[in-house]
Amino acid sequence: MNVREVPQDITYYEGKKRACWALNDEGKYVIVPSSGWEVEAVVNGLAVDEMAASLEATRKAVLAGGKSPLCYHMERRQMTPEILGKTAHIAAFRVKRHFRPDVFAKLRPSILERYAKALAVTLEELKTVPQI
Amino acid sequence: MTTEVTAAGKPFVHVHSAHCESGVTAALFRDKGVEISEPMVFGIGSGIFFGHLPFVKMAGVTISTFRSQPGAVFRKSAKRLGGKFKTARFRKPQKGMDELRRVLATGQIVGLTTNIYWLSYFPNRFRFQFNGHNIVVLHEIENGFRVSDPMLEEPVDCSAEDLERARFAHGPLEPRGFMYYPQSVNPDPDLRSAGLKGMKDTCNMMLKIPVPIFGIRGMRYLAKKIIRSPEKLGFMGACRELSSVVRMQEEVGTGGAGFRYMYAAFLQEAAELFASEELARLSGEMTAIGDIWREFAVVSARIIKQRGQAEETFEKAGALMLVCAGREEQLFKDLSLAAGKLKA
Repeated sequence: MNVREVPQDITYYEGKKRACWALNDEGKYVIVPSSGWEVEAVVNGLAVDEMAASLEATRKAVLAGGKSPLCYHMERRQMTPEILGKTAHIAAFRVKRHFRPDVFAKLRPSILERYAKALAVTLEELKTVPQI
Repeated sequence: MTTEVTAAGKPFVHVHSAHCESGVTAALFRDKGVEISEPMVFGIGSGIFFGHLPFVKMAGVTISTFRSQPGAVFRKSAKRLGGKFKTARFRKPQKGMDELRRVLATGQIVGLTTNIYWLSYFPNRFRFQFNGHNIVVLHEIENGFRVSDPMLEEPVDCSAEDLERARFAHGPLEPRGFMYYPQSVNPDPDLRSAGLKGMKDTCNMMLKIPVPIFGIRGMRYLAKKIIRSPEKLGFMGACRELSSVVRMQEEVGTGGAGFRYMYAAFLQEAAELFASEELARLSGEMTAIGDIWREFAVVSARIIKQRGQAEETFEKAGALMLVCAGREEQLFKDLSLAAGKLKA
């Protein structure tokens, strides 16, 4: 790859740049900052869109009363019940059980506290999901 | 390049790097006065690799990797360059943070392994639950730390809370607060013998691992799997698998083409070091192979974007990967011969 071929497509780096190795005119390898490549945007977009769609589905399920807000906040942090369980020191099967709204509603404050800390949200946020 | 000051008052030159681990290791060596480039560390630490792990799934897709396992580049390059490093992991986050502060107070910069999701200075779309990102901490600031992240152009500030979460995140490959810093470094390392060790190790890993999912054989295995994938997984499933390969190749800080360009840069430096025409030729060949990997990424992206409407097919993507496999096999065989003839 030549330095002039380093892609500079404007994508999603939010102004940051990523380093690429490319050959300069003397045929020597140098670092060239790249502002993004369309190819990357496509493959990253696929993953991000899927996560967003699944998060949205969970949010609707929470509002409809099918799942507890805990499930939403876990997905928002891209965690799994296993990771969340380890972070909050709660067994994964209990985490999964706490996805049931009726079980979640009866949780002790100390347990909620641990979830809130593990997910880096406040207690109020943990008990609700965004309305829009 | 920007210059910062460490806690010891020493200037620290931040170098924008392609890969976090080799960038951090090179920065730690440079801080001790050993001038060494990122590709050199990458080559000496035998960073280039290929593997496809069909039985490990992350977020529902299998994992392919273009590099050796996290931590190996640091470990191997430190050993081969004759650097003694102090490493530590912690059970308790509090202890880990205290130890970090103590070492920083002595003026020593520290390398850390972190979870990239909790490093909020990254753009949102970079942030995935991945526990293998390496950074250098320069000194403490109010409510946080000054961090030189080799993947970014400039050093940044990171809050103490973020850093603690990132260091003690859970999930696959838990960092458990892993920190490392040099205790003593050979001021004049023998780059030639270290480079040869790195090359030979790489050739062994690429050609001789008797498991069909690693090295060249792994590439062939994955290529054939990609060709079959639309029938087996359905179109969307196949796209998901393909996109995960391309993401590992381009997105996770590889310097382009799944570290192939960076390895070509290493071969180029080594060619000068040994005054070897053969190594220079191999560097050119590696660049050409990297270009084919880039083409594979372009074809893959077209497949995903057009949702099956385009003329590009999974057969074409797989075939490109097979071409890469064939040419890399020849390259590493040649490199193995060349490295055998060169004298340290």
